[in-house]
Amino acid sequence: MSETTTNEDSRTSASRLGVVVVEPFAVVRAGLVGTIDASPGLEVLAAVASAEEAMGIIDRLRRTRLVILVAMGLPGEQDAYWLIRAFRERFPGHVILGMGANADPNAISRALFTGADGFVDKNVEVDEFLAALRAAGEDEVVIAGPAAASVGTIAEGIERRRSPTFRLTRREREVLVVASEGLTAREIADRLGVRERTVTTHLARIYGKLGVGNRLAALRLAARSGLVSISQDE
Amino acid sequence: MEAGVAVVDRAETAAAATEACRSSRPELLVLDLELPDADGFRVLSDLGDVRPKSVLVLADRADGDLVLRALRLGARGYVTKAEGLRDLATTIRRVVAGERVMTPTLEKDAMGALGRLARRAREGADVEAGLTPRERQVLQLLGGGFTIGQIASRLGISPRTVETHVAKLYRKLGVRTRVQAISRAATLGLVDL
Repeated sequence: MSETTTNEDSRTSASRLGVVVVEPFAVVRAGLVGTIDASPGLEVLAAVASAEEAMGIIDRLRRTRLVILVAMGLPGEQDAYWLIRAFRERFPGHVILGMGANADPNAISRALFTGADGFVDKNVEVDEFLAALRAAGEDEVVIAGPAAASVGTIAEGIERRRSPTFRLTRREREVLVVASEGLTAREIADRLGVRERTVTTHLARIYGKLGVGNRLAALRLAARSGLVSISQDE
Repeated sequence: MEAGVAVVDRAETAAAATEACRSSRPELLVLDLELPDADGFRVLSDLGDVRPKSVLVLADRADGDLVLRALRLGARGYVTKAEGLRDLATTIRRVVAGERVMTPTLEKDAMGALGRLARRAREGADVEAGLTPRERQVLQLLGGGFTIGQIASRLGISPRTVETHVAKLYRKLGVRTRVQAISRAATLGLVDL
C-alpha cells in the first residue's frame, strides 16, 4: 500500500494522535486497530475489551491527549456509560467518543450527557470514521453516522436527562404518574397493589428528589419534563 | 416558480405563519427568523403537530446556538439570507429530499453548541444531585425573586436558617452573590427565570 511509507514516517514522530480502543468483540477490535493504525496521523496505543481493563490502561499511557473510543455494548456491570463517566471525571483532557452500531438518538444523548465528546457509528465509511477521530482530536464535537441527522433530537434528549424527574426510580415514576390522576394515597396503593404506607414513603422520597414540598409542585415538574400529562391526554 | 415547487401559502407575521401551516398543510415551510410580531422560533414551537415535514430557516444571523435551537425545533436547513437566497430553489429541493442543509462551518458550530449543552446539563445534574431537598426549595424561591424573609415564611423556618441554606447553596454553586447564584443556577438549568 502506498500509505505504508507515510505511516512509517509519522510513526517515528510524536505528532500522531494516540487512540485507545475499548471494544468487547475481538474481531471488531482487531479491525478497528488495523484500520486506525494504517491511517496517517493516528496510532492505537491500547486496545482492550472491558471497562475494567480500560481504566487500568489509561493511567499507564503517559499522554496528555488521547482519543478514547468506547463501544456502547460493553458487557458487565461497569457498562459503557459508567466508563465514559469515569473517564470524564478522571481524565478531563482526553477526548471520549462513544461508538455504536446504528445507535439511536437516545443512546447518543445519554453518552454525551454522561461525558462523551462525540459519537461515531460503526456503519459509516472508513474515511468518515477516521475523519471523525481526527476532528475529535481537534476538539470538535462529532456525530458520525445515521444519527447525525438527528442532532435536534439528541439535544432534546440531553435536556430531558437533566430534568430532576429523570432521577426517580421506575416505581417512583409509576407512583407519580398514578398520583397525577388526583388519587389519594389509599387509592394509589390499591391501584398499584401495595400498602398505603409504601405509597406515602414513595411520595416523600419523590418530593425530596424533586426538591418540592407538595404533590402539586411535584406534578408541575413532572409535567414539564413530559413524565405526566396534566391535561390527561396521554 | 421552479418546476416541481409550488407556493401554497404565504405569510408575513408569526401568527399568520402558524395559521397558514394549519390551513394549507405545506410539505415545506421556509421561515424567516426575523418576523415583525415574534421570532421564528416562536412559530416553530407553536406549530406542534401541524409543523411541516421540512422546515428551512432563513436568518440574518447564524451561530451554533441559533442553529442548534432551530434543529431542536425541527428545522432541517438553516441558511443566512445573504448566502441562502442565492440558490433557494436548489436549497429547497435538498431540504425536501431530507438533507440537512447548512454550511460546514455552521454545522460544526452547531455541534459545538451541542457539546456545550451536554456539559451544562451534566454539570447542572451534578450540582443538583449534591443539593439537599431543602436547598433545592430555597434555590427555586431565590430564583423566583423572593427575599430571605419571604422564603422563611413560605417554608415555615427562620430567616436565619434560610441564610444558612443560602450560604451552602453559594458554596455548592461556586458563587459569592445572589445574582451570581441565580445566573449560575439558570445556566445549569436548576431554576427557570
